[in-house]
Amino acid sequence: MKKNLLMNTLVVLGLVLGTCASAHGMVFGGRIPASTPEIDPSLAISGLTLLAGSLAVLRAKRSK
Amino acid sequence: MGYLWPCYFLARLYLFFVLVALEYGYCFTGRGTIPGHLTILGMTTDGYGQIPIFALLVFLGFGHFRLRTLKEKLPFGRFFFYAHLVPIAAVLFLTIAVREGFNWQHFDPFGYIKSVLYLLATILLAFACLPLRSWIAGMRATGHLWLYSLLVGVAGWAFGNPVKLLWKVTSTAQSGWMQTETLYAVSAVVQRFNPKIISNFSTFTIGTPEYSITIAPGCSGVEGLGLVLIFTSLWLWVYRKETRFPQAFLLIPAALVCSWLLNIVRLCALISIACAGGSLAFTAGFHAQFGWVAFTLIALFFSLATQRLSWFRKLPLSDSDSAGQNIGGLGATAVVREPQSAYQGESPAIRAYLIPLLVILTAASISKLTSAYFDWMYPLRFIAVAVALWFFWPELKKLNWRFGWFGPVAGVAVFLMWIAPFWYASLMGHPHAASSLGSDLAALSPSARWAWIAFRVAAAVITVPIAEELAFRGYLARRLMSREFDQVSFTRLTVFAIGISSLVFGVEHMKDLMDWQHLLLGTVAGLAFAAVLRWRGRMGDAVVAHAISNLLLAAWVLGAGDWSQW
Repeated sequence: MKKNLLMNTLVVLGLVLGTCASAHGMVFGGRIPASTPEIDPSLAISGLTLLAGSLAVLRAKRSK
Repeated sequence: MGYLWPCYFLARLYLFFVLVALEYGYCFTGRGTIPGHLTILGMTTDGYGQIPIFALLVFLGFGHFRLRTLKEKLPFGRFFFYAHLVPIAAVLFLTIAVREGFNWQHFDPFGYIKSVLYLLATILLAFACLPLRSWIAGMRATGHLWLYSLLVGVAGWAFGNPVKLLWKVTSTAQSGWMQTETLYAVSAVVQRFNPKIISNFSTFTIGTPEYSITIAPGCSGVEGLGLVLIFTSLWLWVYRKETRFPQAFLLIPAALVCSWLLNIVRLCALISIACAGGSLAFTAGFHAQFGWVAFTLIALFFSLATQRLSWFRKLPLSDSDSAGQNIGGLGATAVVREPQSAYQGESPAIRAYLIPLLVILTAASISKLTSAYFDWMYPLRFIAVAVALWFFWPELKKLNWRFGWFGPVAGVAVFLMWIAPFWYASLMGHPHAASSLGSDLAALSPSARWAWIAFRVAAAVITVPIAEELAFRGYLARRLMSREFDQVSFTRLTVFAIGISSLVFGVEHMKDLMDWQHLLLGTVAGLAFAAVLRWRGRMGDAVVAHAISNLLLAAWVLGAGDWSQW
C-alpha cells in the first residue's frame, strides 16, 4: 500500500512538474527573431506520430 | 443507432466533458469576456483554472480502470438535457448583449448572473448524462480519489508559479536560472573552438557580430525537460507491473540530463554551423527539428531500457525465454505463457503494418533537419518505403490486394471533395495559399526538377497510399478492436474503429496545429477509404481509392500550379 502511494505520488509529481514546464516553456504563435525554440509546436503531429508508432513497434512480441 | 450512443458510466462521463467544453466554447469564445469566477471550472489555464484541469487529468488517469468496471446501462435524462438548454440560451443571450454594448460604466452587470446560469446549466447537463445514483456509484468505485485529485490540482496550481521562476524573468524576481546555465554551458563549449564567439549574459545572446542567437525561456531546455518528465512518468506508471522499482526511478533523472545535454549540443551545433557560413534553410530546419529528434530518441532509449535491461524489467521477455522460470520469486515454477502474464505486447505483425509509415516520417524528419523549406530529400522517402514494403512483403501478401470498380470511383469522389474548397476559392478570384515549393523547384536544373517531381508523384501514387492504408486502416482501425489486430476481418470494422482511425488520419494531414480545414478533409477522406475497405474487406480497394485521389491531386498541383497542396 505504501509502495503504491509512493509510486503514484512520484508519478503525479512528475506529471505536474512536466506539464508546468512544457506549458509555460512553449511559445505558441509568433516567433521571436533569432531565437531558437527547442520544441517546434508545428512539428508536434509528425513528431508524436513517429514516437507513438516506434514505441508500438518496440512493444511487439517476437515472431514465432 | 443505439450502438453508437454511449451507454456506460465512463463513456457517458466523457460525453459530459465533451458537451461542457463545446457549450463553453460556443457561449464564450469570441463572443465576449469570460467571467472571472468561471475559471474555477477549469475553462482556462490561467490562475485557478489550473486546479480543475490537473484534478480532472489525475482523476481520469487513475480512476479510468475502476470506472470502466461500471457496466450498468444508463438512461439519458432528456428532461434535464432540455432543461439545461434554457440557462445556456440565457447565458448566450447575455454574452451577446454585453458584446453589443449593453454594459454599465465599463462593468459587466451580468457577470454574476451568467456564472450562476452557467453553473446551473452544467449541473443539469451532469444529471442528463449520468443519474445521481451513478455519480454516487462512481464516487464509491474510486474511493478517495476525488480528494487526492483535488489536492494534486491545488499542488499543481501552487507549484506552477515557483517552477516558472526557473526560466522566467519577471518583474518581481530576476531569475532565468535555466537560461543562464544553458548559456554558460553553450559558451563554454563553442568558445573552445571559436574564440570569436562572444556571449552576453544580460540579454542571453551568443554569437558573432554577423550572427547571434538569443536563448529565450522556451529554448533553454525546459520544453524538452517537461516533455521528457511527462513521458517517463506516464511510461513507468502504465507499465508499472513490468518494471522493477525503485531502480527504474533512476532512469528519470538520467533521461532529464540527456535532454538538457542534447539541447546544449543543439545550440552549439546551431551556432557553429551558422558562424561557419551554413545556409539559413539549413540552420532553420536544424533548430526546428532537432528538439523532436532528441526527444524521440530519449523516449525510445528510455522505453528500451525498461523493456530490455533485466535490472529494470520484472517479467521475462518472451515465451521461449520464460519457460520454466520462477514466477515473480514466489517459488512457483511453471511455464509462463504471455497471455497469462502481465506482459501484453503488440502482435508481431505490427512491424509490417507500421514500419513503412514510420520510414516516411523518419525520412521526412531527416530531410527537415537539413532544410526548413525545400524537401530536397523526397526521393529518399520513396526508395526507403519501397525497400520496407519489399522487406515485409511475405507478411503483407496475406492481405487481399485485389480491387474492383468501387475503389477508383471512391478515389475520384475523395479528390473532388478535397479540392472543392480550393477550387471554389480560385473561381472566386482568391489566389492559392502561399507555398515556396514552386519557386524552389524553378531554381533547380530541369533534369533535377523533373526527377524530383517524378519521385514525388510516384510516392504519392504508390508508396504513400500503401503505407498510410496499412497504418491507419490495416493496423489502427483493427487495433482499436483487438490487440491481435491481424486476426480481425476488415468487414467487421466497427463505427468506433473507423471514426477514431479516420480522425487520426485527419490529424496527420494537418499542416499545423490550427489547420482545421485539412483536419476535416483528411477525416472525411479516411472515412471514405475505410468504407471502401469494409465493403468487400479488400485492402486493394482502399489503396486504389487512395492512390487515385493522390494521382488526381498531383495532376491538379502540376496543372493549376497550386503547390500548397503538396
